[in-house]
Amino acid sequence: MDIFSISLVLSAIHLAVPIILPMLGGLISERSGVMNIGLEGMMLGGALSAVAITFLTGDPWVGLVGAMISGVVSGGILAVLTVTLRGNQVVASTAINLIGAGLTAALVPIIWGIDGTTPSVPKIPSLEVPGLSGLPVVGPLFSGLTLVDYGAIALAFAVWWVLFRTDAGLRIRACGESAESADAAGIAVVRTRFLAVTVSGVFAALGGAYLSIVALDAFQAGMTQGRGYLALAALVFGKWRVWPAVAVCLAFGLADAFALRSQIVAPQIPHDLLLALPYILALVALATFVGRTSAPAAVGKPFARA
Amino acid sequence: MITSPTGRAARRASRYAALGLAAAAALSLAACSSGASGTDSTDAASTDSASDYVWTMVTDQAGLGDKGFNDLAKLGLDQSVEELGGKAQVLQSTDQAQYVTNLQQAVTSGSTVTTGVGFLLTDALVEVAQANPDAMFTLIDAIATDEDGEPLPNVASVTFKEQEASFLTGIVAGLTTETDSIGFVGGLEIPAVLRFYSGFAAGVASVNPDATVTPAYVGSFADAAKAKELALGFYDQGSDIVMDVAGGGGLGIFDAAKELGDGHWVVSTDTCKVDLAPDNFLTSAVKDVAGSVLRENTAAADGTFEGGSVELGLSDDGVGLCQDNIDTIPADILEKVDAATTAITSGEIVPPATPEELETFEAPSL
Repeated sequence: MDIFSISLVLSAIHLAVPIILPMLGGLISERSGVMNIGLEGMMLGGALSAVAITFLTGDPWVGLVGAMISGVVSGGILAVLTVTLRGNQVVASTAINLIGAGLTAALVPIIWGIDGTTPSVPKIPSLEVPGLSGLPVVGPLFSGLTLVDYGAIALAFAVWWVLFRTDAGLRIRACGESAESADAAGIAVVRTRFLAVTVSGVFAALGGAYLSIVALDAFQAGMTQGRGYLALAALVFGKWRVWPAVAVCLAFGLADAFALRSQIVAPQIPHDLLLALPYILALVALATFVGRTSAPAAVGKPFARA
Repeated sequence: MITSPTGRAARRASRYAALGLAAAAALSLAACSSGASGTDSTDAASTDSASDYVWTMVTDQAGLGDKGFNDLAKLGLDQSVEELGGKAQVLQSTDQAQYVTNLQQAVTSGSTVTTGVGFLLTDALVEVAQANPDAMFTLIDAIATDEDGEPLPNVASVTFKEQEASFLTGIVAGLTTETDSIGFVGGLEIPAVLRFYSGFAAGVASVNPDATVTPAYVGSFADAAKAKELALGFYDQGSDIVMDVAGGGGLGIFDAAKELGDGHWVVSTDTCKVDLAPDNFLTSAVKDVAGSVLRENTAAADGTFEGGSVELGLSDDGVGLCQDNIDTIPADILEKVDAATTAITSGEIVPPATPEELETFEAPSL
């Protein structure tokens, strides 16, 4: 009856990945200078698309591709609104959230004829890593995770590599710090931002698909439950840097897993307090350690050539 | 933005975005009512087309598709349309801030009877009912009272003795468990959930004093991913049965049991959920929410609607054990269930409705 077991870690990862993926999306978008608070709506779009395509094809991997396509669409719409039309970024991405919540809930009865929750679909299976899954202690870790979990870490690495180790990343970050200077240096600001925002949609949609076809096996209206906003908090908390933000997501996941599981072994602790733990931690840390935030200087400012 | 050389362009552009926001708002409103229009247009046409009744329900945060009381209330709405005519209207709430708005919108749109589904709507419903004393309301799972604790005259409050049904499920669970460890996953710690818990734990104790029932809460009725992790935690720690009172989160509990396979049971609530996991579904404590909604709507149509509160239990057929898989439950367990049913209806056993009552509850021998 020990709470600090490997299954707690497994649980923490399951709860962290659907925050890590949209956080990476938000990071790319904001580093390019476009505030994206529409992650929640994009996640819902991805979650529904993944289930719909899996339902049609019977293959959750095709469903995952379907989710990515929905991310291109939702990210693309936000890019058109904010980058091409230079609309207010907060207003436009709020619109994405409203459309995401409303449209996905409305599509369920249209597609399946029932309200709220779709029928079960095949889910992405967890992967037995040969050799490693038999190990003592850490064995369950190598049989309880899916390729998508490993993929999320790989994507975090890829985002870090592209943003901070390549020319393309330098151009993206330049657009986020000063669009005018980037433009003067010959960078195609509009194109760069458009791409970054579209890609951020794909990441958020993957996060949604993780909930609907990796963690669970169906879509439920509003199933993201604020994870898109939690991803934004992690992004700010991690000061728009990849690894600190990933660490914050993992901490959120661990705090959640701990809050849930400690009720089982220690029922005498008030659970309301435990369930508020991740948010209390975030508040305390923000107020004490983080200090002055360091958002990309040009975030939120539309750009047009003078 | 305004001081920058691109200020005018940006201002013009933000108008586009505002347009997009307006479109989005319209869309999400359309989504709210789409559940209703989908079914009622056909239903209404086949019955009394002259009737202008509008049967409305406002869901709690779990919304339609919870396979629980929201879906049951919707069923009651559909039955009302069938028997009384008129049309059904469902206003879905995805968060608590929408309760008052949705209830007020129902009244404004000419609703005949507005049903608020769930304890979480109590405060909002009281507020709207007091502001609209001529409108009729039904509140499920809670009692609407004014500041002095008097029941509101225009609200029919329907509560259930969930503890009586869950006492029966507790008997089934207590006699089924092999590990003598049973988990309880609730959404939030609210009275109806506590009634389920107290009755369930008492039922288990009356047939299996060695078994423990541990309660744990998700913190929401709509987070299936977290509910799943909680259920996995219970199974992990040696429980072989988990009771699901997590609303829409129940989906995750069933998914956890399915993943682990045979020997991992789920006891559910509100409706029979055999189809969610036929091999893992043990039984369910069901509530006749649909019947209550229909009854209040019928009363309104007949002009006999009265405010005040009713409490429905086993003896009123307001609650009970799921009948869909009753033939899969061993005969010796059913015998005990029948004995308990008789004892509860006759008042010999009074299942506890709160954790405090549970502590002093003397388990009867069945």
